[in-house]
Amino acid sequence: MLSRAARPALRAGSAATIRPATATIPTLQSANYATLREIEGRLKSIKNIQKITKTMKIVASTKLTKAQRAMTESRSYGQTSQTVFNEAETKALEGENKKILLVICSSDKGLCGGVHSGLSRAARRMLNEEGAGNYEIVVIGDKSKAQMSRSNPKDVVLSFNAIGKDVPSFSDAQAIADQICLLPNEYSQVKIMYNQFDNAQSYHPVVIEAYDEEAITQSPNFTAFEIDDEVLANMREYSLANSLYWALAEGHAVEISARRNAMDNATKNAGDMIDKFTILYNRTRQAVITGELVEIITGATASEDM
Amino acid sequence: MAFAWKAAGLTYNRYLAVSARVVRRSLKEDQRVKAERRGEMELKFARWENGKQGEHKNLAAANAQAMAEHAEKQ
Repeated sequence: MLSRAARPALRAGSAATIRPATATIPTLQSANYATLREIEGRLKSIKNIQKITKTMKIVASTKLTKAQRAMTESRSYGQTSQTVFNEAETKALEGENKKILLVICSSDKGLCGGVHSGLSRAARRMLNEEGAGNYEIVVIGDKSKAQMSRSNPKDVVLSFNAIGKDVPSFSDAQAIADQICLLPNEYSQVKIMYNQFDNAQSYHPVVIEAYDEEAITQSPNFTAFEIDDEVLANMREYSLANSLYWALAEGHAVEISARRNAMDNATKNAGDMIDKFTILYNRTRQAVITGELVEIITGATASEDM
Repeated sequence: MAFAWKAAGLTYNRYLAVSARVVRRSLKEDQRVKAERRGEMELKFARWENGKQGEHKNLAAANAQAMAEHAEKQ
């Protein structure tokens, strides 16, 4: 992160400026003024970047409380609907020729550290371990879409975007669940992958599962719930929406907190660079003045002798 | 137990969304504005075929259309 912002500038001027200032006093006067101005320009641009990252950090901080509240609230949605399946001891049916649907919950926006790439990496690892042929993928969010479309373009069936502007709402989750239900293929299982919020600093990708109707009816303790066959499909759709909402809200909170951290680090690094460049600037300026003085004095002594 | 909304091709989630919208709209003015913001949905989506991304479409419109088609089949 440290040098990303200033990298082009560094590459252009590193040979000419940074080392001479500390090691040798530059020889040509004209080159001297140029480097001085270059350093000044770079200093200015780093200061501007610092301002931007600082603002983004503040924005993320204010959004964070809201996102975290939404996350805790959404947890009760997801966990309540998951309780049914835990109590019924539902397990995915194996050995049928149905595919598994993997839903990846990321978002459209970047600048939040490794949130999206961590998710894509976890998804890829899962696909490699369990055989990509068994999976079809639904991607929510542009960032993971770009990454998954590079590695597994054939398996992607749906992608959603324009998410993550605000805290995800339940109607978002419902609409996505609807569109997933309307997919032509039947799936033995739906796996929803999202980033779980551990604390403000850390997160990790996890999977929650949603099942198809057959798996639900065949689960051992299912009869205890006395669910009619007719409403079973409704329950499945609704629980899918609940799980999606949970995953979306938690993923959103993780993203915001990761963005806050990333921007905090960027601001700190920019501060370090500003310090370094200020010192360099002052040193170079002094060197220029000293050089000029030496020249004047030498000239004066030389003409005195005449 | 036959559901009228099921015959109309709606999914359960859609049915819930519609009824939630009705409840929100019948709230008092000041609370209605706040509540309606929770019901907003501006997602877009694209179908993929053979590793190629299709056209971006508005999700709400596509859902409504899909359900209308679903209803005609029944």
